[in-house]
Amino acid sequence: MSKNNELVDDLVAKLKRRQLVGSSAVAHATLKLLIVVISKNNWSTCNQLLNVVKSVGQRLVQANPTELAVGNIVRRVLHVIREEFREAESSASTNKNQSEFHAAPLTTSSSMYNLLGETNSIPDDNVQYPSSLRSNIIQEIREIKDELENIYDSIKNQASLQIHSNEIIMTIGRSKTVEEFLKMAAVKRKFQVLVAESAPSYSGQDMAVELSKAGIETTVIPDSAVFAVMSRVNKVILGTHAVLANGGLVAISGTHMMAAAAKHHSIPVVVCTGLYKLSPLYPYDEDSFNVTFNPDSVLGFEEGDLIDKVTVTNPYYDYVSPDFVNLFITNQGGHPPSYLYRLIVENYDPNDHTFDL
Amino acid sequence: MPPKEKVESTEQVLQAVILADSFDERFQPITLETARCLLPLCNVPLISYTFEFLAVAGVQEVFVFCCSHSDKVKAFVKKYEKSSNMKINTIVSQELMSVGDAMRELDAKQLIDTDFILVTGDVVSNMKLDQVLEEHRARRQADKSAIMTMVLKKASPQHRSRSVGDGSLFVLDQGSKECLHYQPVKAFKSTREDRRMTMNMEIFDKHPEIQLRNDLIDCQVDICSVEVPALFTENFDYQDIRADFVHGILTSDLLGKTIHFHEVSDVYAARVRSTQMYDAVSKDIISRWTFPMVPDSNLQVGDCYEYRRGLVYKEKSVVLSRTCVVEEKVVIGANTQIDEMAVLSNCVIGKNCVIGANVKIDNAYIWDNVVIKDNCVVQHSIIANDAVLEQGVTINKGCLISFKVTVGANTTVPAYSRLTALAEGEDDDSDAELISDPAVVGATGRGRSFTEAEGSDDEDEVEDPKNKQVSMLAFDMSELMLSAKEQEDSASDFESEASDLEEDLISPEEELDREVAATLDRAFQDGHDVDIAVLELNTLRMATFSNFKEMRKRVIPGVLKHIDPVAKPGSGKTAKEILNRWGSLVGKMIHDEEDQLDGAYILQRACATLYQDVAQAQRVFAPALRYFYDEDILEEDAILEWYHSEKSQQGTDIEKKLREVAAPMIQHLEQSDSEESDDEDDEEDEDSE
Repeated sequence: MSKNNELVDDLVAKLKRRQLVGSSAVAHATLKLLIVVISKNNWSTCNQLLNVVKSVGQRLVQANPTELAVGNIVRRVLHVIREEFREAESSASTNKNQSEFHAAPLTTSSSMYNLLGETNSIPDDNVQYPSSLRSNIIQEIREIKDELENIYDSIKNQASLQIHSNEIIMTIGRSKTVEEFLKMAAVKRKFQVLVAESAPSYSGQDMAVELSKAGIETTVIPDSAVFAVMSRVNKVILGTHAVLANGGLVAISGTHMMAAAAKHHSIPVVVCTGLYKLSPLYPYDEDSFNVTFNPDSVLGFEEGDLIDKVTVTNPYYDYVSPDFVNLFITNQGGHPPSYLYRLIVENYDPNDHTFDL
Repeated sequence: MPPKEKVESTEQVLQAVILADSFDERFQPITLETARCLLPLCNVPLISYTFEFLAVAGVQEVFVFCCSHSDKVKAFVKKYEKSSNMKINTIVSQELMSVGDAMRELDAKQLIDTDFILVTGDVVSNMKLDQVLEEHRARRQADKSAIMTMVLKKASPQHRSRSVGDGSLFVLDQGSKECLHYQPVKAFKSTREDRRMTMNMEIFDKHPEIQLRNDLIDCQVDICSVEVPALFTENFDYQDIRADFVHGILTSDLLGKTIHFHEVSDVYAARVRSTQMYDAVSKDIISRWTFPMVPDSNLQVGDCYEYRRGLVYKEKSVVLSRTCVVEEKVVIGANTQIDEMAVLSNCVIGKNCVIGANVKIDNAYIWDNVVIKDNCVVQHSIIANDAVLEQGVTINKGCLISFKVTVGANTTVPAYSRLTALAEGEDDDSDAELISDPAVVGATGRGRSFTEAEGSDDEDEVEDPKNKQVSMLAFDMSELMLSAKEQEDSASDFESEASDLEEDLISPEEELDREVAATLDRAFQDGHDVDIAVLELNTLRMATFSNFKEMRKRVIPGVLKHIDPVAKPGSGKTAKEILNRWGSLVGKMIHDEEDQLDGAYILQRACATLYQDVAQAQRVFAPALRYFYDEDILEEDAILEWYHSEKSQQGTDIEKKLREVAAPMIQHLEQSDSEESDDEDDEEDEDSE
């Protein structure tokens, strides 16, 4: 237990200090930690294990609430645990009572059913679970890990369906997912990419360098020119930091402006994202999952006299509401924003939206 | 965003030294009751920022030096250590009076075995030290004499995060990243030396291109090699790391050490040196310049701040009434309650505070458990834990209200007051009753106004009070300038500059006279070892470009002066006793035969001038001469030469008489092969008694 704590402390500290940022890195680290926690801890019942994972999850989420991928991974793991226990229980109880067997899957699959009925179908504590349970759970979690590792492959394979010859694509910021997606498309098709430079981080410039290295015809445009050139664009492809329950995005600042411009010109907006970025949380206000950075990149600290008199806010992310997005391309295929609720139900248990013990 | 994970570059344990004490009194009276490094800055103890800064840099072991309120620091560090992955050792030493003392202690204990980071316990910074460390190590590998790397931050001279009155002038070589000269700069230059800078001309020969920089914030983050503590031990008069150490190393040709710098520009770094800096750094944190060290990162365990638009940070448990107005740049701690119509702007409010109705708080720093009742107005002040402001109190700008002070109803506290609830003569005796001053805190109040202890005697130069003032909270430069008298003063300063040139100028000889006398007095008074006194004198000699002859001329009378010819044996003042103790000091100033001869003349003259009465002079001279002979400080040949030389036979009557005293000894010496006769021995002894 103490060793676990050390590992948890370490990750919490890294998240707090922002030594570990970015959805993908954070998701991997969380999953790695949870595997250790589950395999090293003593537990015998479902509730015990859930509580252990939840308490770790709670600490991690509190450490940096804006890294939504942490919470998502913890919820995925909790979901897997519930499923495994349920399976183990049902196989144990098949001999005793055949009729209960069918009730279980129903209650898990849709939240509507347990809205008025039984709130929970947490398995009985008295059931003897098979010894293979622990390894089964670990096995399932490793599958999530594999999924994380193969995420770019499964997304980029859909590229040729989305991008056609001689199209003009616009994107913003540097997203590994979008980069892979475009590179894959470039293997078969010839198209042009416009990248907004994404001030003040200018990550769009790095993106452009990477794309042009792959032989794609790339143009960097200033953020202010996005609206002006939008009329010539065929498709906007965006990366994102997180996808919220309503289909809204938390993406690099400037994304909202681009999406709004696209909507004005009725240009389709496609978002490439792994499913681990999909969060069951709902944005109650636009700032809820935002990070405000050091104003240094906007107004230098050296400007002594000025910084006294000016307040500079340098938000890193934009909230983009779901009506700006036309299509999500995830590792499970393409979905419209209205379908996201379904993905949430499939991947997360409704009891896990908050980590209250 | 790419992951910013730090790569561990070396297997060596990275060590850091934190000097938790500031060795000054700028936060008094608040620091009378708690340690400076535990003062809350945006509701987090100051030293936590330093720990955090070091943790990010990958430091594994930290030594915290503390002196005042060490028990509190220790308790805090212990608690903090549990939640961090660093090993933190606290070193308590009550004798610690300066940075120099801490470094000497460090050297004595041999705690450090590799390059280390030296910071003070009040640094707030989000810089990453990896690059600096790498640079330092590479430089060390190439050149062993590069002993230190200072981290400097660029910022305009009038920047709010620069501590007024603590400026510094750096002479730098951008090519080799070497610091060539250092000069502290005061806000008000009252003496002539303050206004000028002397630089070694050699700097211009050696370095084709140099920069003189006044636009650097020196936050005193240094990467030091192991030699640095040792150098402090060698030069035991070094106190300050900049004014003494850096300046000393750079001006000394003997050591041949170099000090380098690393200039950073896109990160934040500042030191909370004064109340004025406390204000500035708090604002920088609230404005997120220190990101990710901001309140909503919740770096302290148990904190749960949320960021709201307009730079408002609020704990979840805060109760805001419906009509209160929280304007821009506000931090509100846990369980605090804000009543109707209260207006808060640019302020930090601690945990468990109660802010009454209609209260206006602007620019103030209110710590934990403070109660501010209805209709109070607080401007630009610091109010420490457990203070109470009764109804209708007005606190004007620049006030420091210390722990547990109660200000009675409808009182107006004038600007720049410092109130404490600590009884006068505070040290230790807790039974001393606090005498509240109703004129200051109102009829029902509790507390008195605090006055600084006058004339802190260990400071050798009296600081210009204006320099102290400018570093105070909310201090307005214009106020100072506008007072008419001051204006005249500064104007006349310029005119009189030329004329006071001569007045000010003390000849180097006089200067040396004074210094040697002071050194010896100190040595006698404090009972130093002879070795230490010799070291001090040698330093002095080198510092003044003087030679041994000059030193002898001053040291010999200096030692003899302490002999009391009429003292009784055992009093420690007889010639014999003094000489036994300090005689070897003279020996250290005498090297070859020529020196010896010279020494004899000086001895003769010194005795003659020090004592008007012949008998007394003889009583000192004879045993002294004998002592020097016995100890081989003056050898036979030299004494004989002196005796027979013409020079010794001239001079005043007393000098001549003294020569005669030596006659028996000379006779004895001249029977060169004979052994010492006991008779003469007795005779001499009688003489000396």
